[in-house]
Amino acid sequence: MNSRLFEWIWHIKGSLTLSPGQTSEEALDRLAPLFRQTGTSHERGHGTLTFRKKDPVAQDKMSIFDGGVLEIERGTGGLVLRYHLVSRALLYCFLAPLLFLGFAQLSVMLGQWEKSSASAAKEAAKSKGEDAKKSADVPMHWIDKALGAPEPEKKKDAKDKSESKGPSPKPGYVFAGIFAALYVAGRILEERLVKSLFRKTLSGEDTIEATRGPEQFSAST
Amino acid sequence: MNGVRVGNRIIGSQSPVTVGWENIPRVEGGPVKQFIFTWFQPTVLFALIAFWYYAPDSIAKASTAIGIGIAFKVFLLALEWFFPRHESWRLTWKELTTDLFYVGLGYTILRAVEHYIGDGAMIEAIQGYFDLDKFTWFLSMPLLLQAFLISFIFDFGQYWMHRGMHNWYPLWLTHSVHHYITQLNINKGAVGNPVELFLIGLGIGGFFDFLPRAALLAGAIGMAVGTYQHINVRFNTPRWWRYVFNTTEHHSVHHSQDFEASRSNYSGTYIFIDRMFGTCVDGEAELLGMEGGRRMSISEQMTFPFTEGWKTLKERFGRAMPVPAE
Repeated sequence: MNSRLFEWIWHIKGSLTLSPGQTSEEALDRLAPLFRQTGTSHERGHGTLTFRKKDPVAQDKMSIFDGGVLEIERGTGGLVLRYHLVSRALLYCFLAPLLFLGFAQLSVMLGQWEKSSASAAKEAAKSKGEDAKKSADVPMHWIDKALGAPEPEKKKDAKDKSESKGPSPKPGYVFAGIFAALYVAGRILEERLVKSLFRKTLSGEDTIEATRGPEQFSAST
Repeated sequence: MNGVRVGNRIIGSQSPVTVGWENIPRVEGGPVKQFIFTWFQPTVLFALIAFWYYAPDSIAKASTAIGIGIAFKVFLLALEWFFPRHESWRLTWKELTTDLFYVGLGYTILRAVEHYIGDGAMIEAIQGYFDLDKFTWFLSMPLLLQAFLISFIFDFGQYWMHRGMHNWYPLWLTHSVHHYITQLNINKGAVGNPVELFLIGLGIGGFFDFLPRAALLAGAIGMAVGTYQHINVRFNTPRWWRYVFNTTEHHSVHHSQDFEASRSNYSGTYIFIDRMFGTCVDGEAELLGMEGGRRMSISEQMTFPFTEGWKTLKERFGRAMPVPAE
């Protein structure tokens, strides 16, 4: 099967036309500070820049990417920056709904198992002629009466309690939905953010500051 | 870096920590903003207490509490976005997604595990053994006192479990993962190794389910105070509040990169428990985390206690092994 069919899930590709007169080396010089971040290593070749990230800090503007290649090519309208970035965070977020659907399914199975064991216990109690314990009335303090708090609810019978099921599958379904939405938002947002970051850096609108990490920490103290 | 002496300890000798309330900045802005960020926390707390005290039985249910809890967190996320305490703690897509992954684990698999082998199972066994009549003395107390006692007993247990995690290596291995967070955000309390999340979740909170209203009131107090532990918002917290309750300032000191500072402020809700046992440090810190602020990936967070534990075992017992004679 062609892996390119699925690559879009965690690969972000794009291109930007360089300003007229900007050379490939000038463009890469401008982009280089983006890769002088904690946990990031990069190599420069002729018109190319390859980078890798390991445990980037939270405020690293490219923290969702694990690696990638930036190339300057000659296009029809001049020099063009083409980038190919890889993000495992996007892949895991794409797969997360499956995990939470799995948890929901597990809850359904546990619920069925609890239901069958509860009905068996109920039958056994019935055959022994046991009655459910009567719950005591919960008293109310005079201060609460004076302040107008509602009367306490009577405690549920043991019979009702025995019918309570195990964990609910609902949170699993909700989180599967949340992660599906997060993936769509992240896939669109991060693609736009990285394009805007490259565009601003190339034009000199955005100055990149090194993020604080272990090596900067000793200097800042 | 000299640090500041607090009792017998030097705080802030390894990483910057602001010690003392008088040194903590106040909210910047006009009188309306000052007013809102001064009175927001007490207003929400008292409004929630009044709600759970007077709500009819048809509304005073766990599902309502869950709904309020979610709405409160969404509101605080918006507050974090528009009024961040530190730009270096600003929520990103990756941070939000990571935090929500742990929140999701808490609502699903961890809840199921706790139901069968955690406090859920233990509480059910204890409740089955005792008769409700044995608790009449507790039931006959005023509702608010019941609620305070439930939340205090729970927090007292959490304090010692948390302190134990910082002082006993096997427990520290599980808890250390939570200390690799490098910023505070609303959902950061959920981030940690699942073993630790299971252990810290052990408590007697569910024991009081035969007192639904008192238990809901206790939960509301915990939510209206404990949620601010991990928040990227600055408040002009009233003096009485910060004396009694835990705050984001206290908890940022606990998460500081400074070792001595991290061994303080263990409670979740009532900071006066730390004051009682001499572990409270009033102050704040911005630089958080371990190993100088290294961010840990989820996969490492899942395996770290086991890999580190294995390394330690190998070091300890590997050295003791006899070396064959040449």
